[in-house]
Parts: sequence; structure tokens; C-alpha cells
Amino acid sequence: MSAHEFYDHRRLDCGVEFAALALEGRRTTSFGIRFLTGLVDEPDDRLGLARIVEETIGKGTEKRSAQELSDAFDAIGAQHGSGVGRESFMFRCSCLPEYADEALALHAELLCTPTYPDEYCRVAVDLGLQELTALEDDPQELTGRLIAPKAYGKRLGRHELGTPEGLQRIKRDDIMEFWRKNFASSRMQVSVAGAVDVESFARRINELFDGFGKGNGHQQRDYEVEFSPGVHHHHKELEQQHVLLCWPGVKVTDADYPVERVVLGILSGGMSSRLFTEVREKQGLVYWVSAWGEHPRNAGMAFMGASTTPARCDQTVKTLLREVERLAEDVTEEELERAKVGIIAKSQTHGDITRARLGELGSDLFHFGRPVPIAEKNERIAAVTIADIQRYLSEHPRDRLCIQTLGPRALGADGD
Amino acid sequence: MNRDNGFVEHTLANGLRVVIEPMPQVQSAAGGFLVQTGSRDETPEFAGVSHFLEHMCFKGTAKRGWEAITVDFDNMGSTYNAYTSKERTVYFGWVRVDDLERQVDLLVDMMQSIVPPEEFEMEKKVILEEIAMSDDSIERKVYDLIHETFYGGHSLSWPVLGTTDTVGAMTRDQLFDYFQSRYHPANMVLIVAGAVNPDDVIAMAERTCGEWRPKSPRPDRSAPPSAKQAVGKRVTDRFQQQAIGLVYPAPSATHPDRENGDVLAAVLGGQNSRFFWNIIQAGIAPHVAAGRLDYCDDGMMIAFGFAEPAKVEAVLEAMRKEIDKVSKNGVVEEEVQRVKNRAQTALATESEAPYYRLMQMIHDVDVLGRPRSVTERLAAVDAVTPATIRAYLEAWPLRSDGLVSLGPRDWPNDD
Repeated sequence: MSAHEFYDHRRLDCGVEFAALALEGRRTTSFGIRFLTGLVDEPDDRLGLARIVEETIGKGTEKRSAQELSDAFDAIGAQHGSGVGRESFMFRCSCLPEYADEALALHAELLCTPTYPDEYCRVAVDLGLQELTALEDDPQELTGRLIAPKAYGKRLGRHELGTPEGLQRIKRDDIMEFWRKNFASSRMQVSVAGAVDVESFARRINELFDGFGKGNGHQQRDYEVEFSPGVHHHHKELEQQHVLLCWPGVKVTDADYPVERVVLGILSGGMSSRLFTEVREKQGLVYWVSAWGEHPRNAGMAFMGASTTPARCDQTVKTLLREVERLAEDVTEEELERAKVGIIAKSQTHGDITRARLGELGSDLFHFGRPVPIAEKNERIAAVTIADIQRYLSEHPRDRLCIQTLGPRALGADGD
Repeated sequence: MNRDNGFVEHTLANGLRVVIEPMPQVQSAAGGFLVQTGSRDETPEFAGVSHFLEHMCFKGTAKRGWEAITVDFDNMGSTYNAYTSKERTVYFGWVRVDDLERQVDLLVDMMQSIVPPEEFEMEKKVILEEIAMSDDSIERKVYDLIHETFYGGHSLSWPVLGTTDTVGAMTRDQLFDYFQSRYHPANMVLIVAGAVNPDDVIAMAERTCGEWRPKSPRPDRSAPPSAKQAVGKRVTDRFQQQAIGLVYPAPSATHPDRENGDVLAAVLGGQNSRFFWNIIQAGIAPHVAAGRLDYCDDGMMIAFGFAEPAKVEAVLEAMRKEIDKVSKNGVVEEEVQRVKNRAQTALATESEAPYYRLMQMIHDVDVLGRPRSVTERLAAVDAVTPATIRAYLEAWPLRSDGLVSLGPRDWPNDD
């Protein structure tokens, strides 16, 4: 896998942290631009602002109108998108290699010279309010929004859609202010993967982002997770009850992170995993059940989730808890190997997709501050033992869980 | 054995087709079985049987119990799953290239399911949960309403999952009978894409499927009603939004006009489209789009939106305004070129991954009877021009629209 892969990593003169993975034989180039700012940097009374900044940043530059900018991307067939998270803004793009330079220049134009036209700012707020209505029709996402402040605390647990009150206060000046304060080359990480001339791409970044946001480049503050265990219910008339459970895990750079990945793989890595087997196959309690990890820069949270008809929710939760407890006692070598193979094999099959490699590279830069070759990550996965799993589970007890349900009935409502 | 256009195709003596796309530039391989039966091939009392069977194929064979099936998938680290649609059932796995033989062996075994009686009732519970989950999804409910409204009385109108009544009443023996009538070489295709030697795949197919007994293909499908002028309405307080859709006749999946329909839908309601700039960015609704839904013998063009109930009239008016405008004036060269440029990048991405290619080949083999290369698909999009779209609009006019509405408002009759 690594025979034709060339990693590069450096801080460019313009202040941008840059990582590249040139891959031979690829037909596309994918790049990602991350700004180290996100929901955590929203003013308390303007929740929802970061997403409005993201929605409006492409709605006009000093050179082009919103539509002209979109047309310019389409003229080169660039597939581009953006998103905002707790601690990052991400701008991603995939294109044919011959257009990578132009796609990068278009990104520089929209990031460095946005005009934030008044009308688009107003519409973005209005659409944001409507998105909050739409969220009510998405039980899984809504459950995630409900548990986040209890799992992460008020700041790291913010949701991108914000609040109606926060959105209604947002004006163009707030959007401009957020951009001025938080967007700068010194807070940028750029990663590129696929068919790319690395030197030429790096040179172009330097030219395009030189001096961008000079003076505004204060480093992002790290926020600690404020975990609040407890059981919470939100009533809503639905066919199914949705449940999320979480407990603090480890951050991506922790030596035990590979162990946690294997634990989650044993719980939920495939159809032979414990949750699928015990909750779905043996009891028929659910169609959907899963376990996964979420990772702010300096923390980790392990989640389990399921949806089931209300009368079966208590039994589902009991089974989820039993399975995660039992793991420390009876995990087998076969399960361990299977979970490891699952992680390693998928890193290799999915590695055929340039966009997937870019995603890994961007994540490495964010968490580790350097590219981490897949072989290195896989070696750490391969080294995990049953003793590691038992130690991880004893060091991260699940006796203080945060549980959120959404649906017609609270847990234990029948007294069971 | 045929070698054509980058594909290798071979038909076993029992009639099973094997279609392969070698992709020497990648490191993985994906394989799957296309079973040419779906919910439109069911009878009303057994609505949902194809999907139920898809679940049961993971539950046991003469060689493996359900645990062994899932363990064998996971021992390869396979990315695997199955799905059922109106017209097909598909099983697939994406693995490192050295594991392809094991992957195909396992899929072959699953295609000889014994539909184990002892697992039947448990799996029924899982499917009833899936139906409950679907009932909480506005997207799924409006999709079902569209089919009920425009294909009412025809098998295309039945939900893929079936209903709590039909699934609840099903017996294992009925499922097994259906399995025996549909899962055989005349109705199935083995498709593989990836870093493989086609001769090895064919030898593998001969070894593992060569003894399958040939049977008659499934019964012919009856044509669905083609009129698209009905109004379908469902009032429900389950959702906060109102879903609305305007529906027009459109080419089927096999019709030569399909690419023109797709480009027109993209210009109207795709990325950087007229709907995006004139409806979404006008603040009328956050989710408005257009797309073509197609089957082997019919299609529909749908303009749809999800909006706050009070904004339904505004969304409808805005969509109709754009549709009238495009009907009258057609599209311009720049709009068409933008769609082509995006397609070029999308197809380059698709050509990188066996999984993406497998999914596209399954679609093409099912509806067109043969796979299409990335180059051929790009050429089909490249052939679209403003003039061909003008001709499309004459053949498939966007007028006399059908309408669906689902949500808390008793609309369009509440004023």
C-alpha cells in the first residue's frame, strides 16, 4: 500500500500548515482547507453564527457575485462543499488534476475576499430558522443535538443550527466580525491527496494566502469536555424511541486510541459484532443499533445508539449496558482478531478512493499535527491485546453514563 | 467469453451471467449478486416478501448458520450489505483483492439459503422495527405517497418494506416458495469489479455456481399506469414540515431520453440550479430539488420541497414559475455545460473505486441488460445540448402536473 505513496508535511511561509499525499495512478485530486475555529468560538448570544458564516462565505467576493462564483467552480467541474464543526470549518474539493490549481485559487478568493452581501446574510438566517423546524423531523439528529450539551458541556456541545434566539440576533456585522477575527492563514491547515504536483501546489498556497488575516492569527483555545452523567428524556410522538448513551473515551492521540477503536469494533464493527448479535439478531429488538467514537481535538466520547418501539426500549438499553460491561470479562481472541481485521481491511479497500485518503490526512493533521501513514496506524491496531481491552475498560468505567431518549416514553416508565 | 468495452462477460451452461470489470489500478475488489426481483414483482398479500427474503438470506444455509455468515464476512473485513428496491435485490461485499474468492464463495452460499424456520419470527420483529423507523421518516413517507398516488393499484405502488399487516401475516413457507421461484440462474447475475483476473473469476463462478439448476425467469411485469395527473394527500401531525411534490411524466430507465431528463432535472433543481438560486436563496424553503425517478417501463420527473406548512403556497408557486420558464424558454448552453463538467469529475471519482463501479454496473445490467463504461456514460451526458432538451420538453412536457402533499396541513383544500 505504501510503495507509491509520498507524504509531505511542512509549515509554509504564509503560515499555513500543509500536508500532502501524492498517489500514483489516481485520476482525481482532492484537497481540504481547515480553519481552526468553529462552534466553540461563537458568542454565547449568537449561537448558530458559525454555520451562517459558512453558508454566506461563498455568496460573493470582491471579484464575483455568488452565482458567478458557483459558475466558476462548475466551469472546471470541481465538486466542492463545506461544513462547520465544534472546532473547525472545513472546505473540501475534488476535481480533475488539471484544475486543482484553479480550484485552489477559487477557494482563496472566497475565503480571503468575501463580501457577505446583506440579502444573503438575511436569507441565511431565515433558512437557518427553517432548518430548526426541519430538524424536528429527523429523530436521530435531534437526539444527538439533545445529548451533546450533557456529554460535552455547553460550549463543546453546541449544535451547528444554533438556537432561534441566537439566529434572530445575527446581523451582517456579526458575520464579518467572526470572519475577521477567526479566519487567517495561521489558523489554516491545507491537505491534498491524489494526483498532485506537491511543490507546485504548496507554492500556489503560499502565493494565494500570503498575508491573509495577518494580525488576527491568535491560536484556537482548547476547551475541556464537561461531562454530565444522567438520564434524560425528551417527549415526542414517534413510532420509535431513540436512545443514545455515552461515556468519556480517549482522544485520538492517546496511546489507548487504537484500543478504543478495537473495543468499538467488537461492539459494532460488523454484523457479527456484539451489539448487532445480541440486540438485533438474538432478540429482534431493533433494526438500527451502533457504537462509535466522536473526537474533539482534546477529548473522546464513546457512543452507543439504537431505535426501537417504545415498549422495547428498556430491554434494549439493558442489553446495551450488559454488552459493554460483559466485554471486559469474556472477549475472545477470535473477536479481537476480527475487529482488528475489520479496521485494517477497510483502511485498505476504502483507500482506493482519493477523497477517503484526503479525509484521513486532514484528520491526522488536526489531531496529530502530522500525517500518519496508514501502515503506522494499522500496526498499532494489530498490536492491541485482550489485556489492553480489559485495562481500557477498567480505566474508563461506564458507571457514570449520559443517556438521552427521544420518543413517547421515558425509560422505566412502566416501573421496570 | 466476451471481451468488450473493458468488460468481460461469460454465461455459464445453466444460464447464470457473470460480468466483470477488471480495474488494474486499484487494490481492492467488489462482488455482488443482482437478483432481478423486487417489490413490484410481488402480489399484494405478500407485499414486502422480497425485502424479507433479503434479510433471511443472511440467516442460514446448508453450510452456515447466521453467525457463521456474519463471522465470515467480518473475518475478511468486508464492507458488505444488501438492499431491496422496487425492481431488484442486491447482495454485495467489497474486500481486499486477495479475499475476493472467499467473498464470492460466501455470497454464493447465501444465494442458496435454507430460509431457516427457527430464525423466521425473530427476523420478522427486526423488519417490523424497520417499518416503524420508516414511518418516522418524512422522506420515506412522501416517497411511498408518490407511488401510491401515481401507481395506485399497480405493484409499483406497494412499499418495498411491505406493511405491518402483510409482513405480520407472512409465513416461512411462503418466503421459501418465493425464494425458490426467484433465486436461480435465469434471474441472477454475478458482477465483479476490481483488481481481478477475469479468468479466475469465471473459474470461481463455474466451480461454485455451475451446479445451480436452471429454471424459468420470473413472470413478466405488467406496465404501470402512465398518467401523472392525480393529487395525493396525507394529513399527519407526525411531522413539522409539509412535503410537496409536482410530478410529470418522464422517460423510463431504458429510454434514450433519460440523460436529457437528468440534465434538465439538474438544471432545474440540482446543485447551482434555478431552484437553488430562485427558491432556496430567496429564503422560501431550505430543501427544494428536482429529480427523475425511473423504472424499466416508466418514469417520473419530480419537483419537490420540504417546507414550513405556512410556506407551501409560496414553494409551489416558485417551483411552477421555474418550471413554466424552462418549458417556455428551454435551457442555455452554459447550464448544460456545467452539468457535464460536474459529471466528468463524478465519473473520474467513480472509476477509482470498485465499490462505486459495482453499484453502477448492477444498475446498468439490470435496466439496460449490459454494463456501461465510465467513458460511455460520459459520452451519453456529453450528447445533451439545449436543442436536445428542447426536443425532450416537447416529448415530455412539464405541464398538467400531478401533486402530492404530506404533513400537518390539510392542503390543498384547507382554504
